[in-house]
Amino acid sequence: MPEAASMPGTSRPGTSRPGTPSPGAAAEASLRPVPAFGGLAASSPDGRLVVREREGLGLATVTARRGRGGDLAEVLRASRGLVLRPGPTVSRAGDLALVGTGPETWFAVGAGGGWRFSRALAATLAGLAAVADQSSGYGVLRLSGPAVRAVLAKGVPVDLHPSAFAAGDAAVTLAGHVGIVLWRAEDRADGEEAFDVAVFRSYAESFRHWLFASAAEFGLADGPAPGPGTAGAVSRPA
Amino acid sequence: MRDVQSHRLDAAGLVDRARPLGFRFDGRAYEGFLGDTLASALLANGVRLVGRSFKYHRPRGIVTAGPEEPNALVALREGARREPNSKATAVELFDGLSARSQNRWPSLAFDAGAVNGLLAPLLVAGFYYKTFKWPSGFWERVYEPAIRRAAGLGRSSGLPDPDSYEGAYAFCDLLVIGAGPAGLAAALAAGRAGARVILCEEDFALGGRLLCERDAVDGRPAAAWAARAVAELATLPGVTLMARTAVFGAYDGGTFGAVEKVSDHLAVPDPGRPRQRLWRIAARRSVLAAGAIERPLVFPGNDRPGVMMAAASRSYVNRFGVLPGRRVAVLTATDDGWRAAFDLAERGARIEAVIDPRPAGPPALEERARRLGARLLRGGRVAGTHGRLGLTGVTVAAAGGRTERLPVDLLVMSGGYNPNLALTTHLGARPAWSEEIAAFVPGGLPPGMSVAGAARGTLSLGAALREGHAAGREAAEACGLGGCAGEAPRADDEAAGLAASWPVAGARKAFVDFQHDVTVADVALAHREGFRSVELLKRYTTLGMATDQGKLSNLNGHALMAGLLGRPIPEVGTTAARAPTVPVAIGALAGHARGRHFKPTRLTAGHALAAERGATFVEAGQWLRPQWFAAPGEADWLATVTREVRAVREAVGICDVSTLGKIDVQGPDAGAFLDRVYVNGFSGLPVGRARYGVMLREDGFVLDDGTAARLAPDHFVVSTTTANAARVMKHLTYCAQVLWPEADVQLASVTEAWAQYAVAGPRARRLLEALLGAAADVSDAALPFMGAREFEWAGVPVRLFRLSFSGELAYEIAVPAAYGDALGRALLAAGAFLGVAPYGSEALGVLRIEKGHVAGNEISGTTTAGDLGLGRLMSRKKDFVGRALAGRPGLVDPDRLRLVGLRPLDPAGRLSGGAHLLAPGAAATTANDLGYVTSAAFSPSLGRWIALALLRRGPERIGEHLRAVDLLRGTDVPVEVCPPVFVDPEGVRLHA
Amino acid sequence: MRIACPFCGSRDLREFSFLGDAGAAGAGLPGAGPGAGPGAGAEAGADAGPGAGPDADAGARAEAVYLRDNPAGRHRGLWYHEAGCRSWLAVTRDTRTHAIFAVELAREGAR
Repeated sequence: MPEAASMPGTSRPGTSRPGTPSPGAAAEASLRPVPAFGGLAASSPDGRLVVREREGLGLATVTARRGRGGDLAEVLRASRGLVLRPGPTVSRAGDLALVGTGPETWFAVGAGGGWRFSRALAATLAGLAAVADQSSGYGVLRLSGPAVRAVLAKGVPVDLHPSAFAAGDAAVTLAGHVGIVLWRAEDRADGEEAFDVAVFRSYAESFRHWLFASAAEFGLADGPAPGPGTAGAVSRPA
Repeated sequence: MRDVQSHRLDAAGLVDRARPLGFRFDGRAYEGFLGDTLASALLANGVRLVGRSFKYHRPRGIVTAGPEEPNALVALREGARREPNSKATAVELFDGLSARSQNRWPSLAFDAGAVNGLLAPLLVAGFYYKTFKWPSGFWERVYEPAIRRAAGLGRSSGLPDPDSYEGAYAFCDLLVIGAGPAGLAAALAAGRAGARVILCEEDFALGGRLLCERDAVDGRPAAAWAARAVAELATLPGVTLMARTAVFGAYDGGTFGAVEKVSDHLAVPDPGRPRQRLWRIAARRSVLAAGAIERPLVFPGNDRPGVMMAAASRSYVNRFGVLPGRRVAVLTATDDGWRAAFDLAERGARIEAVIDPRPAGPPALEERARRLGARLLRGGRVAGTHGRLGLTGVTVAAAGGRTERLPVDLLVMSGGYNPNLALTTHLGARPAWSEEIAAFVPGGLPPGMSVAGAARGTLSLGAALREGHAAGREAAEACGLGGCAGEAPRADDEAAGLAASWPVAGARKAFVDFQHDVTVADVALAHREGFRSVELLKRYTTLGMATDQGKLSNLNGHALMAGLLGRPIPEVGTTAARAPTVPVAIGALAGHARGRHFKPTRLTAGHALAAERGATFVEAGQWLRPQWFAAPGEADWLATVTREVRAVREAVGICDVSTLGKIDVQGPDAGAFLDRVYVNGFSGLPVGRARYGVMLREDGFVLDDGTAARLAPDHFVVSTTTANAARVMKHLTYCAQVLWPEADVQLASVTEAWAQYAVAGPRARRLLEALLGAAADVSDAALPFMGAREFEWAGVPVRLFRLSFSGELAYEIAVPAAYGDALGRALLAAGAFLGVAPYGSEALGVLRIEKGHVAGNEISGTTTAGDLGLGRLMSRKKDFVGRALAGRPGLVDPDRLRLVGLRPLDPAGRLSGGAHLLAPGAAATTANDLGYVTSAAFSPSLGRWIALALLRRGPERIGEHLRAVDLLRGTDVPVEVCPPVFVDPEGVRLHA
Repeated sequence: MRIACPFCGSRDLREFSFLGDAGAAGAGLPGAGPGAGPGAGAEAGADAGPGAGPDADAGARAEAVYLRDNPAGRHRGLWYHEAGCRSWLAVTRDTRTHAIFAVELAREGAR
């Protein structure tokens, strides 16, 4: 066993001489956020599938307090002009969308604001709902194009045919082995279908692998470099 | 140079003569056409010998024209793409295809293994069990290797599969299985009515028998009608046509499994395209229109190349434009079989004889056969076949017994039809016996399924079309679709004229199961030796256990047994069919989940930073966590970990702890709810404070441990161990929704939302002061041990907890995960002047062992809170999940294994996890076992190895000397039992 | 198998996990079941409900944990829609045929 003294970088009390902190070290610097998918943008050559990360969204889980669902709906209507639809659907008003993800539970999506969006929503719904910020917890990809359903069918065990999954419908389900929140977004300007997929941040790399493997036959080409890489050696548990 | 297609007809058939395809078989070049199978292309070139049989190495040829083929198994392609046991009759020909025959050495024509045929009397049914019994040591060393070399079929390449596979889901109103006449009619009716229809066909061409028979539908040739039907289906918006797709299983709830051979008809898959795709199809209704398989007749020498099913011979002539023989004998026990004589004669074959064991039949057939110049042997049989590597003649016996040898190169046979009903039985229904067609037909059906056409035992074309149409229309109606289904297609109702003709005992070298070389004699032997139930017959003789799963052989074998038993066939029964009905590659089942992607990998927000800093990562469940950060010059991981531990004990370290589960618990009842799920109380916890808690399972054992912090009167954040995060979330939702549905409590997993770093060591506070500046007061007064604060810093919300897993002055700081990377970098920058070091999970483990904190090794599902020294936490003033059963005598027995520390008596002694504890001098037996080491580590703080252990009556043995015996590693280390807290037992450091 | 989740609709079996007999859930656990939610703001010393003595409950708890019914035939079991809406469901089905007769949210069934 080597002696500690031979180890570079080892700091020992009495021998090291800590300096003083440099003035304002990092304290007031603003921190740079990293999008879950690293700002992913990719497209197949013929545009059959277009993938784009929706960055900077405000995301939150909203769960009504016991028996306060009606009051919550009323406050949303009055304060945001949002009419809350029941079930696994998306209710929209302006920059705010509430995706039904469970009984009395929603995934709130704000067009921007990140964690501040959640904080404002919590204030609006104080006493009526538990609001937990998830702005960093998920990455959201917008998938669109004529091949989008064929690609999603390779991992999503839900019927996405327009007759079964209409505009504004939503589902909490799987893509391969990765949990997702999925909803029909507004169709593209050219009339092609679009879906938003929210994936837990830590699964972004795995989802990305599944997506590119599944879309390979449509020639989906990689976009900008991914955010968190997978570099580094992995040792196997003994 | 390529051989000419000696047996190809000038016209006829659906192959594209303008599209020649070159291929190789056993190294020799041949040519076929687009639309051929490998089998039809081989026959077109006059190749009849394609393989050797499994056990006796008998020459074998092509028997069928479909996926039921038992004999023509070949190894397809070369190198890593080699696929053994491919059925030549189902392999779509492509340019450059290369195939090799199997189970022969050195060559197909001269096979040394054929000597097995001479040993046939020894290799009878059950020979493994009888012949190779002793000496016992010979089995592994001599018998098995020899048998494996001599017997068996193809061999896999042994190389990694270079192709990709994928899964996919599909949904429809109606799934139609099979695109023959009934299937096309069903799909048309439902599709026209507006249903979402998926039509699956195993073949690459849609049409089934319509492509192979010279019938007429709606006044058109059958194949032309099929092409029109397919063209119409392609225009219907709700209809999906899936050729090359075999439905292999029926599952609960209208779910079906199917495998699509996306690229098997190509030498190499197109870029980005998978080789095969596994479909899971959820269908509200289904129509099984999978047709029927013609049944062989069992007679001496019936396995010789040149003996073929009658319907297959019609497929080769009519669909592929290949004349499989020029001088033909027809052996048929059905009127249907006579059609082969007419179709083959039409294309120039000479029909030498029609042998029909039935004493009488329709005069019109006989008249027509006579006009061909064929001899008619009513009540006749085939007594033998001739030809070393292919048929050159048959010996026929007339009704009176007089035998005669006829020179023929093709003998076609028809013994009736077995409906393809396997999918009706996958959910437990049994087939029913039909005397009318002398075969099993579907009995019960899975919910939502109907059966049409030959699969139902309906063997006339007109009736099959009507049934298919009706089934499609009814399915659409059942789905609430009222569109017009149109008229049923019309065709003649020619009777198939089926009658039973079962094998009887006594025939020599008469094969019941071609692929597994099971003969009439083997079945008779099984009967003599008492293996008489069909299940025992199967296992004793291997009847029906080959890759064709007895599609051709089972009923003949069972009928033979029924005859020997003197009982009717339905009483003898049939074996159960189970999914999959066709072989499915493991690769197709795995899809994209291969290698590194077998399961998802979860990465923390600090992953890239850790990788930059040279981390070695370790899998922790799905997560990758930094295990350690090796520095240049360090000899091994132990040196690295020791340095990291010292950095924490002596300066400050940071560790990414984002993988710990975080559950947001809100609501007026949040505190009371936590009282119910933790053994200790939480409703009295002040805001701004955290508390360590233990959760039990309902059975009283420890589920998990962690801290919960109160952020507001109605808001807690609960932390879990990395491994149990999902389990605890499930448990809490169970408690909230099932146990206490009235509780006003809301749960949300926020594990992913926050990136969290532990900052630990005597200089931790100075690091945070440098980092946070005026944003937060981290003094002991403002943030004492187990304090929790929320504030904003550098434009982001921060949660700061004063928690310590290491036993040092320590904090955990959390920011929204998007800022996790930036936080890690800021911590390293702010702490540089303090000598901050990142540390990994290994150092984390050493630190907690030194401090006696339990982790997954101790919370193993077998330990109680008391066992772990946490019994004092269990409140007596409230109830909680697991309390009642935790009080059972067995769980409070003082004899239980309980947590202690261990240290070797010799300071240089090394301990290992899993070692068992024994008294000095005790033998290493289960009876003497006193417990075991759960966690062991080299303690840099003590300069020696230490361990945590679960020891019988542990705390009472403090100070005793025992041995830690590791029989796997061969170590036996004398140890002293000590308290489990090795460092700072008074807790001075963490309160600093 | 497919389960018609009352919230999500018809979903594949892979999204669910099975726990056991719905009738046994919480049996003998004071405070569990109809109308017995934990009181708001109660401190750790709050009474756990009528008949709260652990000893009296051990038998019922042991039965609930270890002796759950598993009949051949109609059975009401608890399922967790883990990969979906995270609802606990009470699914009534025939264990022999997997035919499903009813699916309800366990939270509502318990009322």
